[in-house]
Amino acid sequence: MAGLISRGFLGRRRPAEVENRLPPGQYLVTDFPVLSAGPTPHTPLDRWSFTIEGLVQSPVTWSWEEFQKLPTQTYTIDISCVTKWTKLDTKWLAVSVDTLLQAVQVDPAGRYVMAYSDGGYTTNLPLDEMVNGQAFVAYQFDDKPLEPVHGGPARLVVPHLYFWKSAKWIRGLRVVERNQPGFWESLGYHIHGDPWKEERYSGD
Amino acid sequence: MDNDQADMNTALMVDGNAVAGQLEQIFGRDMTMAIARCAGCARDAQMGALMAFIRGPGIVLRCPACQNAIARIVETPSATYLEARGAAYLRMAPQA
Amino acid sequence: MVQPVLEWQAGRVTAIRPETRQTKSFSFALPKWMAHRPGQHYDVRLTAPDGYQTQRSYSIASPPERLGEIELTVERIPDGEVSPYLHDVLMPGDQLELRGPIGGYFVWEVSLGGPLLLVGGGSGVVPLMAMLRHRAAQHSTLPARILYSSRSAEDVIYRDELDGMAAADPTFEPFYTFTRQPPAGWTGYRRRIDATMLAEVMRPFDRRARVYVCGPTLLVEAVANALVQMELPIEQIRTERFGPTGA
Ligand SMILES: Cc1cc2nc3c(=O)[nH]c(=O)nc-3n(C[C@H](O)[C@H](O)[C@H](O)COP(=O)(O)OP(=O)(O)OC[C@H]3O[C@@H](n4cnc5c(N)ncnc54)[C@H](O)[C@@H]3O)c2cc1C
Ligand SMILES: [Zn+2]
Repeated sequence: MAGLISRGFLGRRRPAEVENRLPPGQYLVTDFPVLSAGPTPHTPLDRWSFTIEGLVQSPVTWSWEEFQKLPTQTYTIDISCVTKWTKLDTKWLAVSVDTLLQAVQVDPAGRYVMAYSDGGYTTNLPLDEMVNGQAFVAYQFDDKPLEPVHGGPARLVVPHLYFWKSAKWIRGLRVVERNQPGFWESLGYHIHGDPWKEERYSGD
Repeated sequence: MDNDQADMNTALMVDGNAVAGQLEQIFGRDMTMAIARCAGCARDAQMGALMAFIRGPGIVLRCPACQNAIARIVETPSATYLEARGAAYLRMAPQA
Repeated sequence: MVQPVLEWQAGRVTAIRPETRQTKSFSFALPKWMAHRPGQHYDVRLTAPDGYQTQRSYSIASPPERLGEIELTVERIPDGEVSPYLHDVLMPGDQLELRGPIGGYFVWEVSLGGPLLLVGGGSGVVPLMAMLRHRAAQHSTLPARILYSSRSAEDVIYRDELDGMAAADPTFEPFYTFTRQPPAGWTGYRRRIDATMLAEVMRPFDRRARVYVCGPTLLVEAVANALVQMELPIEQIRTERFGPTGA
């Protein structure tokens, strides 16, 4: 993949002021790039639901209306995409995954989660990295309803992992026993995806 | 929200023809005129006419009829991955 | 015939010519030049000193009859990554990595026959121009029309050449539409391309036209939907979406 260096092409920037906040190999952006893998699903809110299922005592499903009544928190966090951009200080209003898990009783065998979305997207996560405030389901970004292009009505956000783990258009979490790769993890991307360890590709 | 203008995700979509270079690098020939039969809906489309999403961790080619993911390509520094589970088959004419 | 493997090669910029306020044409001499088919494109790859790379596709504007060189015409997208580099930094004598010619789908050549209806928006006219230049170079009289949408009179790429082709060739006719600022005294179309406009321009061709649609994705979506509603056989329609080129 080595290439001829393009005279005068500086690529992207890692400004010194925020250098220590940028994981290795990442560049700063101030806009919000859209990562696209398929058309934007437009599920009407009256047909939207969120489910926790799999290795739980009894699955729970919330309607949009019910989901809105769950306690929320605001989070200000940095996000890093494996396509090499990092965006600092993004502000979300969200329901913590801890709150959602309180509604079910997770079977002791359940150690991983497969998040699934409208449009067929999936991503896998260790359950112990979803709890204790580490992950949330957001429906507002920057004090406004989350736009469909960025995953609205609701998306998962897992700030400490590459952003492909933060599934857009999320519809549920399936608690599972084994760590099965999701949409990108099954095609060359890292099973875990920690940006600070630069876990981009399988084998990294 | 229904405003298509605002849908950057749609605006970023291109045709399968736009990834002709990546496909040719893998197959050693032009694949845009090859037929992909969708494993989801069994309809045929030329690969050049598939819906292509190229601004993400990888390339996703989808069926224009049912949006099923026909093929995905990921290029990492050490390997190229091609997955085509969503295709029942690819059919191509003999090379001229 | 065994096809040569598609490889990146360093093209040398031989000329840069402004076309409009926002577009420039770049000529490249290629060490491994290969005749292309009108409508094909090249991939362009930029590499930064730290190894960061990015790549984009650009249609070939020149006809295959021009030997040893290719010409690309690029619109400058103000907040873009690659097109501002090509416009503001690249100079004659510089080298640029290119891979091509590629894509057999969005291709027209005289042997495919006509009549030919080309529909373009903004820089989407580029591959259509390669088809028209090829048609002219072959002295083809297959009937051809282009319906070309621009924001304003100053944004029309290749205007003189298109009008010149039409003056010299009664079987070719260009139609322009302006979505923002038509030229003074303009009596033609002044709106986005729609089904009525397409039907008017296509009328003499009946339903036999081979249609090539190219431009920003949202324009191509709208035109392709209109053509399908008009029940034009889908096999006669080819599209090339450029992505988000119109901010
Ligand atoms: C087959 C093909 C042929 C083409 N031929 C030509 C041609 O002949 N001439 C020509 O001028 N162009 C052509 N294009 C378009 C060209 O490839 C580039 O897309 C265009 O030059 C813009 O690239 P850029 O790097 O300058 O801008 P980019 O950095 O790609 O940005 C373009 C615009 O989209 C926005 N954007 C980009 N990515 C995202 C994202 N992830 N999320 C949100 N917003 C985003 C940017 O903010 C900007 O407004 C062609 C495209 C294809 C697929
Ligand atoms: Zn299908």
